[in-house]
Amino acid sequence: MTQTSIRDMLYESPGPKAKKRIRFFTGLALILLAALLALVIRQFAVTGQFAEKYWSFFARFTTWRFLGEGLLTTLEAALTGSAIAFILGFLLMRGKLRRNRILRAVSTALIEFTRGVPTLLFIYFFFLVVPKTGWKPSAFWKITLPCAISACGVVAEALRSGVNAVPRGQTEAALSLGLTETRLFYKVVFPQAFRFVIPSLIAELVIVLKDTTFAYIVTCADLMQNAKVLISNYDAMLSVYLVVAVIYILINYLLNKISDRLALKLRRTAAEGSKA
Amino acid sequence: MSQSETPVIELKNVNKHFGDLHVLQDVSLSVKKGEVVVIIGPSGSGKSTLCRTINRLETIDSGEILIEGEPVPQEGRKLAELRSRIGMVFQSFNLFAHMSILDNLTLAPVDVLKIPRKEAREEAMKLLERVGVADQAKKVPAQLSGGQQQRAAIARALAMHPKAMLFDEPTSALDPEMIGEVLSVMTELASEGMTMLIVTHEMNFARQVADRVIFMDGGKIIEENTPDAFFEHPASERAQNFLKTIRDH
Repeated sequence: MTQTSIRDMLYESPGPKAKKRIRFFTGLALILLAALLALVIRQFAVTGQFAEKYWSFFARFTTWRFLGEGLLTTLEAALTGSAIAFILGFLLMRGKLRRNRILRAVSTALIEFTRGVPTLLFIYFFFLVVPKTGWKPSAFWKITLPCAISACGVVAEALRSGVNAVPRGQTEAALSLGLTETRLFYKVVFPQAFRFVIPSLIAELVIVLKDTTFAYIVTCADLMQNAKVLISNYDAMLSVYLVVAVIYILINYLLNKISDRLALKLRRTAAEGSKA
Repeated sequence: MSQSETPVIELKNVNKHFGDLHVLQDVSLSVKKGEVVVIIGPSGSGKSTLCRTINRLETIDSGEILIEGEPVPQEGRKLAELRSRIGMVFQSFNLFAHMSILDNLTLAPVDVLKIPRKEAREEAMKLLERVGVADQAKKVPAQLSGGQQQRAAIARALAMHPKAMLFDEPTSALDPEMIGEVLSVMTELASEGMTMLIVTHEMNFARQVADRVIFMDGGKIIEENTPDAFFEHPASERAQNFLKTIRDH
C-alpha cells in the first residue's frame, strides 16, 4: 500500500513503450530469479543438505517447543527492551527540548553516545563489567538492558522530530486558551507527535528484536541461542538457520505490515482534510 | 460612566522590533467593554503582531499592555490565567488536529477552569449549536470545511467565557464562499455585546460591525475614527491610498 503511493510520487504513469519495457525486464528478472533458486537447490542437493538427518528432527514436537520457548524469550526481551527504550528515549527527548542549557547538553550527549556505540559493546559491558560491580542481573536483563540503552537515543531523536513536526499554531492555540506549557505538551503536542512517529518507532522495535539475537553471548535462551543448541545437538547448521531466519522474517514482516497499516490510516485522516 | 471605566484592553506606547525592523512604533490604543475595534492596514503594517502582543504570543520591547487595568504577566500561571480570559481566533483556525471538535471545546474548560466534564460538554454543544456546527461535534477538524473549522474555533474560544476576543485575520485563509458564514457569527457576537479586537481585510464587515476603525501602516497607528467617518473621509493620504487600492479591485 505504501509502496504504491511512493511509486505514485516518484514516477508518472507509464506510456505504451515504458509498459513494454517494464514487461520485458519483469520477465527477465523472473527468469534470473528462477535460475538462482535452481542453482541453490542444486548446491543443496550436491552437498547433501537434503539428507534426512538434517531435517527429520523438525518433525518432532519437542524441537518446535524448544524453538517456541526461545521465540517467547526473544519477544519478551524485544518488547521489554523497547518499552524501556521508549521511556528512556522520552526522558532524553524532554531533556533535549528543555530551556535549561545543562540539562539539554547532558541529554544531547547521552543521545549521541547511545546512538554512536554499537549494541554489542553495551552487551559486553553488561556481560563483563557489570557483574564485577556486585550487581548480577539475570541473563534476560543482560541482553534486554543493553538493547534498550542502545535504542533509546534513536527513539529520543524520533520523538523529537515528531514534536518538531507539530505545527506552531497548535501550541499557540493551546497557550491562548490558558494551558500551561506542561499541560499543552501532554494534551496537545505529544499526542500528535506520537502519531507522526509510529512508523519510526516500529522500525526501531524491529531493530531491537534483531539486536536480541546477541543473547547467545550472555547465554540467554532466546530463539537464536536455542537454535545454536539444536545445531550442535543435530550437527545441522544450514537447516536450522534457514528455519530460524524464516521465523525472524515472518515476525518482522508482520511488524512492518502493522506499521504500514497505521501509517496509511493516519495519512487517510489527514487526506480527508485536504479533500474537505 | 464610560469615561471613568477601565478599558478591557489598553496599550501604552508599545514598541517592538523584529531584528532591524521596527514593527510596532509607539502604539497606543484602548478597547472599552462591549466595544468592537477593527484594525485594518496593508500587509506588513504590524496589525497581526499588535493583536498577538495582547496575550503575549509576541513579546514587546517597551511600553505597557494592560488587561482590565492590570499589566500582562511575563510568564507562568498568572500569564496562563490571563490568556484564559482573552479568547483568540487565528487565521489558520489551529483546532487541535487529533481531537474531535467537541473535545477541542472542552479541553481548556476542563483542564484550566476545572469545570466538570459533563457540564463542559453540555455547554460546548450549546456553543456549537450557536455557531451552527453541532452536527460536526464528533468529527476531527480535518473532516470539516474551513468555514466550519473557523466557526468551531470561535466556539472553542467562547467556551472559556472570555472577557474579550481577539481575531487575527479570521477569514484570510477561507475560500470566498465560506467567509460569510464566519463573519455572520462574528456579527452576532458583536451585537451581543462582546468586546472584540479584529484584524481583518473585510472592509464591508468592518464598516458594518466596528465601533471604531484603526488604520495602521509601517508599524504605526495612522488614523483612528468611526467607521463611517473613516471610510467616507479618510484623513491621511496613506489611508486614502489604501482604501483606493482596495476599492479598485
